[in-house]
Amino acid sequence: MTARNTFIFAFGVTVALVLGWIAFPRALYVRHNQPLEFRHKTHAEKSGVADCNECHALREDGAYAGIPPMEKCAGCHSERIGESKAEATLVNDYIKPGHGTPWLVYLKQPANVWFSHAIHVKRGGLACSECHSTYGESDGVKVYEVNRISGYSRDIWGHSMSRLRRAPHEGMKMSDCEDCHHRHNVEVGCLGCHE
Amino acid sequence: MKVEGRSMKLTRRDLLVWSAGAAAGLMVTPVPWKLLDDTSIWSQNWPWIPQPSRGPVEVQQSSCTLCPNGCGIRVRMAAGWPVGIAGLNSHPTSRGALCPLGFGAHQLNWHPQRLRTVQHYSSTSSWGDARTAFVKACSEGPVVIIDGYPGRASSSVFETFLQGRGSYRVVQSSEARALAPYEAWSGVPASGLGYDLENAQTIVSFGAPLLDGWASPGRFTRLWAERAAGMSEPQLRLVQVESSLSRTAARAWQWVPVQPGTETALAAGVARVLLEERLVSARGPMPPLTLTGAAAQTGLTTDSIRDLARTIAARTPAVAIAADDNPAIAALNIVLGAAGARGGIVKRSKLSTSYVSAAAPIPAARAVLIDSTVPWDFVPQTDAEVFRFAAWDGGAGKADWLLPAPGFLEELTDVPTAPTSAIETYAVAPGVVKASSEVQSPAQFLASIDSTLTTTEKIVHDRCAQLFRGRTGILQSQERTPLAQVASVQKLEEQLWKGAVWVGEALRPESLRCELKEWPAATPSSPPGSWSSMWPAPVLPPLATKLYQESTLRQPPERRKA
Repeated sequence: MTARNTFIFAFGVTVALVLGWIAFPRALYVRHNQPLEFRHKTHAEKSGVADCNECHALREDGAYAGIPPMEKCAGCHSERIGESKAEATLVNDYIKPGHGTPWLVYLKQPANVWFSHAIHVKRGGLACSECHSTYGESDGVKVYEVNRISGYSRDIWGHSMSRLRRAPHEGMKMSDCEDCHHRHNVEVGCLGCHE
Repeated sequence: MKVEGRSMKLTRRDLLVWSAGAAAGLMVTPVPWKLLDDTSIWSQNWPWIPQPSRGPVEVQQSSCTLCPNGCGIRVRMAAGWPVGIAGLNSHPTSRGALCPLGFGAHQLNWHPQRLRTVQHYSSTSSWGDARTAFVKACSEGPVVIIDGYPGRASSSVFETFLQGRGSYRVVQSSEARALAPYEAWSGVPASGLGYDLENAQTIVSFGAPLLDGWASPGRFTRLWAERAAGMSEPQLRLVQVESSLSRTAARAWQWVPVQPGTETALAAGVARVLLEERLVSARGPMPPLTLTGAAAQTGLTTDSIRDLARTIAARTPAVAIAADDNPAIAALNIVLGAAGARGGIVKRSKLSTSYVSAAAPIPAARAVLIDSTVPWDFVPQTDAEVFRFAAWDGGAGKADWLLPAPGFLEELTDVPTAPTSAIETYAVAPGVVKASSEVQSPAQFLASIDSTLTTTEKIVHDRCAQLFRGRTGILQSQERTPLAQVASVQKLEEQLWKGAVWVGEALRPESLRCELKEWPAATPSSPPGSWSSMWPAPVLPPLATKLYQESTLRQPPERRKA
C-alpha cells in the first residue's frame, strides 16, 4: 500500500471513529428534562429524610411502591414553600390539580420483565446504592435520554457506549442482571424474571 | 494540480480505500453492535403486540384447568389481567411444579387460533342457530355428551341433562386408562383408584414417562428429587422398560431396553420368574408365556429377565406402572402383591363412579356434544351431528358445529381428584379473566335449553357444603388446617376460592381386593406414544416455544399430524 493509500485509509478510519464514538451517541439519544427540578440532597438536609425507604417504600405485601405518591409531596408542598420556578410548577401544575408528576423513569423495564425490589432488598440484602449509586444524595435530576430506536432509557444500556469498565450500578440490561446474580452466586431460571 | 507528476485528484480507488478504512473503523465503534441491539429490541415492540396493562399487581392462587391433574398455580395479575403463572408450592400433589403448557397458559386466551365465533361447517353462525339445531336433534333422538374431566360440577350438569335424553361418556387420559384392568378384577371403579407412589421403594415403569410429564408432573419429579436424584443407592428405584432412551429412561436407576410393543411379554416373563423362584409372597396366576418366549419377544436374555425380577423383588413395596391400559402389567402387580397394598395400587375413594369410555363406537345417537375438556384430537366414532365446544381450533377435526368455549380461567370450575392420586382432593378454579368474545360453556348452553338445570356455581356451593358436613380431611394452603377446625361453610368456600385444596384422608390399602384367576389373554401393546400425545393441547402458548415446541419429542399438534 502506498503512502497515499495509507493516508486515505487512516482518514476513513478516523472519520468512522469520530462519527461512531461522538456523533452517533448524540444522534441516537433524545434528551428530555424531567418535569420538575428535584433535589434529593435538599430534601435530606432540610426535611430530615434520612433513609430512602421513607419515600420509596415497600408496601405491606412486599411490592415496591415506586415513586412516592402525590399525597406524600403534598404533605409539605400543599402550598408554595419556596420561590423557585420548580416549586410553583409542583404546586400549581401537579399538587393542586391532584394528578401526579409525570416523572420519566430511568430504569423502566419491558413489560415482560418482572423485577422485585422487595426480593433484592429484603432477601438479597442489597443497599439502594448498589444499583442506584449516589443518586439519592444528588443535587439535581439527570437528563432523561431516550433511545430513538428501542424507546428505552439510556440508563438501561449505561452511559458508556462501549459498556466497558462500567461500575456495577451502570446499566440494567439482562446481561447486567446475570452478571450481578453470578457475582452473588444466586441462580434464577428464565421465569424468575420473565413472565 | 500536479506535483512532480502526481495528481491530487480523487479517484474511484481513493474512494474505495477510504470506504474500506471507514468500514474498518466502524467495526471498533459502538455503531454496528448498538444498532443490532436496538433494532432487535425495536422488533420486539411492534405496535400490534399486546402489552400487559400497567396497574396494581396481585397474585391469585388457583388450579390449572388444562388437563385433569389440576396442578396448583399462582397467577400474577396486572391491572386485572394474568401476566404470569408459576407453580404453587403448597399444592398437595403438584408441589410447585408445572408443565411447559401450564407456565404459558395465560397466553393461550390470545392465541390466533382462539375460537371467537360459532362455526357451522366452517361458516360463521350464531349461538341461536346452534341452540335451535341442538334442540331439534334432542327431539329427534338420543344425545351423547362426551366429557374430558369427569367428576366436575359441569359433569354433574351433563349427567342431569341426559336423564331420559341419552348417555354420558368419558375420554380418559392414558394414566387413568392404565388403571382400568383393576376395575374388572376388583369391582372398584378405576376413577376411585390411584398409585401410592410416596410409599413405594421400587417402581417399574413400562413406558410411562414418569419423569417427563406423567400425570401431575410435580408429584413424581419432586418425589424423585427427594428420594433418588443424585444418589448412588437411592431410596426409590425407578426401572424404566422402554424401547428408546427417553428422558425418563435416561434418568432412571435402570433402563431395560426392549423391542417396541413387547412390554406385555416382559411383564409375563417377570411374573413367571417371581412365581417360579418364589420371590413374592402374593399369589397370582402363572403366565402361559415361557421365559424363553418372553426373551425371544423382548430381545432380552433369560438371565436379564431373571435379574430384573430379582431386582424388583429385592426392594419392596414395588409397583409396575403401565403407559396405557395393559392387563398383563396390571396382572404383574397382582403377582407382586401391589394391588391393595401400601406403595401400590390403592383405593382412594369410597364413592366413585364407573364411566363408559367414549373410545367405543357410539350407536344410534342423533347428536353428540363434546365438552371443551376433551382433547382436540379425539374423534368420536359416530355419524351423528357433532356439537363440539372448544376454546381453540386445533385444525382438522370432526365437528359439524364448533362452539367457542371459555378459555383459560375464564369460567368457574371445580377440580376433583387427579386421575392417579392416592388420596382424594378437591379444589376450585374461579374465573379470574373476562372472556374477550361471546363464549359459552357447555353447561351454560344446556341451561339455556333446560331451565331446570342447576348452575355450576350452585353445584360447587353444594359440594363445599357436603365437604363441610363430612368434617374429615384437611384444608391445605400455606398452612394445613383440619376441616373440623374450619368455622363455617362460608369460610371453607372462601379458602377454596383463594386456592386452598381440600385433601381427604387416605383409606386403608387393604380396602382394595383384586381377584385374578387366569393370566389375561395377550393383547398387543400399543406403540408408545410421545409425551404430548397423552393429553395434547390444541394449541401451544408462545412461552412454550423453547421449552416444548423445538423438542423432537414434543412436537406441536400441527407437526404431529403432518
